[in-house]
Amino acid sequence: MSTVELRNVSRWYGNVVAVNDITMTIGPGVTGLLGPNGAGKSTVLHLIAGFLAPSRGEVTVGGAASWRNPGIYRTVGLVPERDSVYAFLTGEEFVRDTATLHQLADPAGAARRAIAIADMADAQGRRISTYSKGMRQRIKVAAALVHDPQVLLLDEPFNGMDPRQRLHMMDLLIKLGAEGRTILLSSHILEEVEQLADTIQVIVSGRLAASGDFRAIRRLMTSRPHVFLVRSSDDRRLGSALIGRPAVTGVELTGGGLQVRASDFGAFSRELAGLARDQDIRLRELLPEDESLESVFAYLVES
Amino acid sequence: MDGAFNKVIASITLRAVFGRKRALLFAVPPLILILITVVLKAARPPGTPWPGRILGDFGFSVVLSLTALIIGTSVLGAEIDEGSIVHLLATPVRRSSVIVTKFVIGAVLTMAFVAVPELVAGLIATGGFTRLAVGLFVGALAGSVVYNAVFVMLSVLTTRAIAVGLLYVLIWEVVLGNFVSGARLLSVEQYALGVANSIAHYGALNAGLTLTTALIMGVIVTVVTLVFATRRLSEFSLKGDAV
Amino acid sequence: MSAEHEVIGEPARLAGAETGVIHDIGYRRYTGRRLGRAQIVRALYWHSLRSAYGLGRGAKAKIIPVLTFAVMCLPAVVNAVAIENGQARIVPYDTYLFQLRVVVMIIFIAAQAPELVSRDLRSHVLPLYFCRPLRRLDYPLAKLAAFITACLAIIEIPLLLLYLGTIAQAHSGTAIWAQTRALIPGLLVGLMWAVLLAAIGLALASLSGRRAYATGAIAIYFFLTWILAGILIAVTQRNVVRAVVVHPPPGAVAKGAPPGAPGPGTFVAHEITQVPTTAAHLSGLVSPFTTLDGVRLWLGGTSPGPVPGVGGYGALYGAMLLVLLAASLGGLAARYRKAGMA
Repeated sequence: MSTVELRNVSRWYGNVVAVNDITMTIGPGVTGLLGPNGAGKSTVLHLIAGFLAPSRGEVTVGGAASWRNPGIYRTVGLVPERDSVYAFLTGEEFVRDTATLHQLADPAGAARRAIAIADMADAQGRRISTYSKGMRQRIKVAAALVHDPQVLLLDEPFNGMDPRQRLHMMDLLIKLGAEGRTILLSSHILEEVEQLADTIQVIVSGRLAASGDFRAIRRLMTSRPHVFLVRSSDDRRLGSALIGRPAVTGVELTGGGLQVRASDFGAFSRELAGLARDQDIRLRELLPEDESLESVFAYLVES
Repeated sequence: MDGAFNKVIASITLRAVFGRKRALLFAVPPLILILITVVLKAARPPGTPWPGRILGDFGFSVVLSLTALIIGTSVLGAEIDEGSIVHLLATPVRRSSVIVTKFVIGAVLTMAFVAVPELVAGLIATGGFTRLAVGLFVGALAGSVVYNAVFVMLSVLTTRAIAVGLLYVLIWEVVLGNFVSGARLLSVEQYALGVANSIAHYGALNAGLTLTTALIMGVIVTVVTLVFATRRLSEFSLKGDAV
Repeated sequence: MSAEHEVIGEPARLAGAETGVIHDIGYRRYTGRRLGRAQIVRALYWHSLRSAYGLGRGAKAKIIPVLTFAVMCLPAVVNAVAIENGQARIVPYDTYLFQLRVVVMIIFIAAQAPELVSRDLRSHVLPLYFCRPLRRLDYPLAKLAAFITACLAIIEIPLLLLYLGTIAQAHSGTAIWAQTRALIPGLLVGLMWAVLLAAIGLALASLSGRRAYATGAIAIYFFLTWILAGILIAVTQRNVVRAVVVHPPPGAVAKGAPPGAPGPGTFVAHEITQVPTTAAHLSGLVSPFTTLDGVRLWLGGTSPGPVPGVGGYGALYGAMLLVLLAASLGGLAARYRKAGMA
């Protein structure tokens, strides 16, 4: 009833593939959508929210397609990332108008409840143009909750929030998730999602790179060595300097450059620049050989 | 409740339009119309009869077209530009309702800011409820309706709605309309003039269409553009992250 | 979680000492040449010129510049065809096709001036510009220079096409020279147009960060004043009625009529001419387009234009031109002096 399903969903703009053949199911509880900037997280959220059509595949919420289906919004609430609200309305008017548009029986009452949940009761009489960024986020959440949706989609919800507001929002989301709602939030900040999400979906370059339990994925990552290709002004000398470092497990001179295996990416990346400078070698290029997983590793482990 | 006028959307739209001080740009042309009418009435210039030129050419070509353009593109265009339309669309409200409501608000505002001043100017210029004054008033009412339908549709189609609308008003209506008679069939200004002239019977008005043609084409254009706008709005898309 | 985090270089914690440490992580500073203010201005100019034509953005941004340019070239093309068929040049150099030029410039300026100026205001990048070695007035001047260049191309290239189309069929050096002599004032008039209209357009556009409002403001100002000026000129012309006696050709005298009497076929006609009053001469001051035309007449232009003669008020037109230009430049300067933190 409140399951979000993507089946072989792709979305492209001309030559650029924003989402590449993603299949995933999101159930009740809090799910985090992780990924670097530009990975396609917002695209996935907009696809689920019915604000983007999939170029291929199906996106359904509770069995119904979300594209061109305004009825979906009875069960879905969206908190968009863009800081775009009706600045001339007061917080209360905004939430109450949203409630009316949702054809609720008691818009004012629903608005009051939603505003209380979002802890915006003090500021509700002021115009949104006077709100800080964090307050705007919270009023958007209130508007998204006013119709008691089963599915809540949040695009980078902690942007612009101070620590206290963030904690409050996290508590709120945990509570909503415990009530059996499907909460999907996107973020590129690890710590926020770590404390909040039961499951995570990691999206890198439009592909689903990892999904499941957060700690299990991390463990998978640390046990793999990572392979890089380095091109420099003197590969041989750099190679011999690198093999002496504990973070490096293997070095190979290939036609295209220096292939380095590192077990500890964090230490390796920090040392490489200093090492090159000490040896007076100019670094030209540093490419990870297994791009997607490397990026996953980088921000899953390296905080 | 359904594909009809929605009070909440109407109130938001009205507040949005009047909330920005700069939006009162559309009060400028009608004010100038009335001002010039008063000045010319007092000055009594000797040349060609000026009421027809001021009320007809200036009133319709400039005041009606430009004011309708500004109003018509801001009732929906501003929200799309800012992104706040998402909050409206993330509700089960029918897309046709959104379009119709904004269209009606735009048309009513245009009538208030163009047709009424046109009537006032006409009363001043011709000294009373003459056929010319009344005819132009009714023509302006008709023009307000059709123009707003077209410009609301443009707002959904493109982010540069006002520039495209300006292209339409200046090139299609002003330039082509005077040289290519076929272009008149798709000129909203001609619909308005046709309606006006059926009452005014004023030769100097640049009216090329009969009343029947003007009415039929006006209705067709209004309906087609609104339907098309509804269709496009239901396919409204948000871009993802930096693509 | 932060087990791998080794802090390279711990901040010294000496009692009472406040030291800071810049961690050396092998970062290389840029030691190359840094370009100066002149290059910044040049880059800004070039970038603005490109955005005036929609280059560097998607295909949609190029539609209006290309369309307006094509429309502006139409008279030159038609003229070339007429020349080939043996006619003389039908389009004058100093006015070109006045109405067309007005409409095209209104569209181009209303659509493109906001692209140069409003975008930067909306995205609040001005502080980024001004924290570089760029003086306050460099920014609007560079933008203005770029937009004048853009408008100049749209105005002068069709004139040059007109010229080339005409001399293509010319057979003698004197004919070519005559065309060239006629072209030069036309190019100068075009220059006046570009400078004044670009300045006004940018000044109006700089009032708003939202492109729609900027376009609207520019469209209203230019179009409204233009139509108004035309109407005012038309309605302030006095009709002068003259009785004219039209004689038959000499020698045709009716039988039996005394000599000197009006012969058969003589009649009295009433000739109505439109004579501009003072008001008509001055009405052109209302619109920048007619102001430009008035200055053209004042400087000796001969082709007929919307302004029915300046009637001794030529200097007034010149003054109006300078006033409009000064107001626009002043407006731009004022806008960007205070827009630093906008």
